[in-house]
Amino acid sequence: MRAYLLRRLLQAVPLLFGISVLLFVALQMTPGGPLAVAEDVQGRVTAEDLQRLRNRYGLDDPMYVQYLRWAGDLLRGDWGTSFDTGRPVLVTIAERVPTTLLLTGTAFLVTLILSIPIGLLAAVRQYSGFDYASTSVAFLGVSIPSFWFGLMLLYVFTFLLGWLPSVGLSDPRHDYTGWAAAGDLARHLVMPVAVLALVSTATNTRYVRAAMLDVIGHDYVRTARAKGLTEMAVVGKHAVKNGAIPVVTILALEIPDLFIGAVITESIFAIPGMGRLFVQSASLRDYPVLMGILMTASVLVIVSNLVADALYALLDPRIRYR
Amino acid sequence: MTLVVAEQPPSPIPAHRGDTAVEPSRSGWSRAWLKFCKHRLAFAGLMTLAAIGLGVVAGPRLLPYDPERIDFAAQNQSPSLAHPLGTDELGRDQLVRVLDGGRVSLSVALAAVAVAMTLGVTVGALAGWAGGALDNVLMRAVDIFYSIPGLLAAILLVSLVGPGFWTIVAALGFWRWMPAARLVRAGFLSVKEMDFVSAARALGAPERRLVLRHMLPSVLSPVVVTATLGMARAILAESALSFLGLGLQPPQATWGRMLYEAQTVVIHDGYWWRGFFPGLMIFLCILSVNFVGDGLRDVFDPRTVHRPQSD
Repeated sequence: MRAYLLRRLLQAVPLLFGISVLLFVALQMTPGGPLAVAEDVQGRVTAEDLQRLRNRYGLDDPMYVQYLRWAGDLLRGDWGTSFDTGRPVLVTIAERVPTTLLLTGTAFLVTLILSIPIGLLAAVRQYSGFDYASTSVAFLGVSIPSFWFGLMLLYVFTFLLGWLPSVGLSDPRHDYTGWAAAGDLARHLVMPVAVLALVSTATNTRYVRAAMLDVIGHDYVRTARAKGLTEMAVVGKHAVKNGAIPVVTILALEIPDLFIGAVITESIFAIPGMGRLFVQSASLRDYPVLMGILMTASVLVIVSNLVADALYALLDPRIRYR
Repeated sequence: MTLVVAEQPPSPIPAHRGDTAVEPSRSGWSRAWLKFCKHRLAFAGLMTLAAIGLGVVAGPRLLPYDPERIDFAAQNQSPSLAHPLGTDELGRDQLVRVLDGGRVSLSVALAAVAVAMTLGVTVGALAGWAGGALDNVLMRAVDIFYSIPGLLAAILLVSLVGPGFWTIVAALGFWRWMPAARLVRAGFLSVKEMDFVSAARALGAPERRLVLRHMLPSVLSPVVVTATLGMARAILAESALSFLGLGLQPPQATWGRMLYEAQTVVIHDGYWWRGFFPGLMIFLCILSVNFVGDGLRDVFDPRTVHRPQSD
């Protein structure tokens, strides 16, 4: 197991190298370049100003020189400076991480709390009314565009009922402290979390149901029933353990999806997290920040794949990795 | 927001092997069609898609309004007989805009899936047929593309290059070709050594004909499922881009663009029809595509034949 993990980690190195080269080249090849935003206001920015900027960021160097400089700095912990603000990229991204983590973490918890019991019950009572209802809702849930769902929630709960605030994570008109601040944050989180958790809850409910149905059909479950165990013990003690294996790995694979979903959710509700930073940086052509966020997201994908495989091997003794 | 669809590669063996007793006189494809029609939800999905397709193509020509005609006498009207889906702040009829925008949204999605599938099938076939070093290089490329979140890459490319029909098609297509490539490659690896290929080779069929006429057709059925479900992803991704303001630019309507423009008026003025109907169309399309995809999976994947109830 340790050798397997080590080998997988080593394989991630060339993968990350490939990703960074691909992204770097793609960025360099797009027409316009990083200074297109500055050039737009030609009246105020002189040609000398632009040239000074080009020299300062080394934009006239050959592409491979720029790549090696960027990659070398990255390995030494220097992610570059933002073209827009002049502040270090690492700081710019890091101060957005807690907000996005709060949003995605809460959505992940909601997903767990809802999808596992619903999927379990649907599987145990297969073909019951509850099964049909939850399966149908799950199918609708995976098909609803999150931005439409968010907009309709805003219409009902902000415009019609006036219960929930529409933007941001705190009310700038008040200076809440203690419990009042927590309550304010919770009220701001309800709709974004609902939007973000909808798709993952719907998807997971289907996975949990399918995984449990698969396990319930096995002989050892029938044996447990035959020896007279209560349904509670059969499902809770025997079936759940094996049914959980594929579910746990799917959950690990879904973490990057939550972060990508945050891009849309943060835009709808004007939440200052990483997703919004990405969209803003893209419109400002802030290459260093864009590279930083894309590399972070790619690392997240690779790590979650690795975690999923490792969990699978850890939980299922039938699986042996060489 | 990503539509998570399990991409379990179904068996590359065509569906018509094994159950010859049902309709011995029919071809594989027409038997598949019959089986598909028995899947009621999939059939309903297909009919819905056909109706939407007809509506977006014919609708703008039949309706008495032009999608871009401004009418200040009819600003911000809620749904009525004259304007079934209401009007916007310029008095433009929303029904004709939803239909006209749908034509563009669906065209972008179709073109993106076509790009992704062409690329994926070509790469997969090349890797599976050639094997060796080329296979290795191509599959590492698949790994790299798989590790970069596609929506982020699409946002990036469209922001930097500038929104346009083909920019968006390329941005969406270039990040969705990997599943098809893996499926076709896996299919080629298993089909390469099969008797019918060896027989064709022994009869002296040139390599080109071997690949195009014998191997490729027998591995394509799982690709059809992937392409269908990819359509749902593409519709969603296109509207997400538009919703972020990165879609085709005004006055051209698209579903995502209409939602983008509806944001403030829905929340502050309560003009719910501005956001409700474009989103409903996206939802209906994705739901129908998912039903059709599910049906196709049942038809093409022999393993699901005997338990059509479970998913």
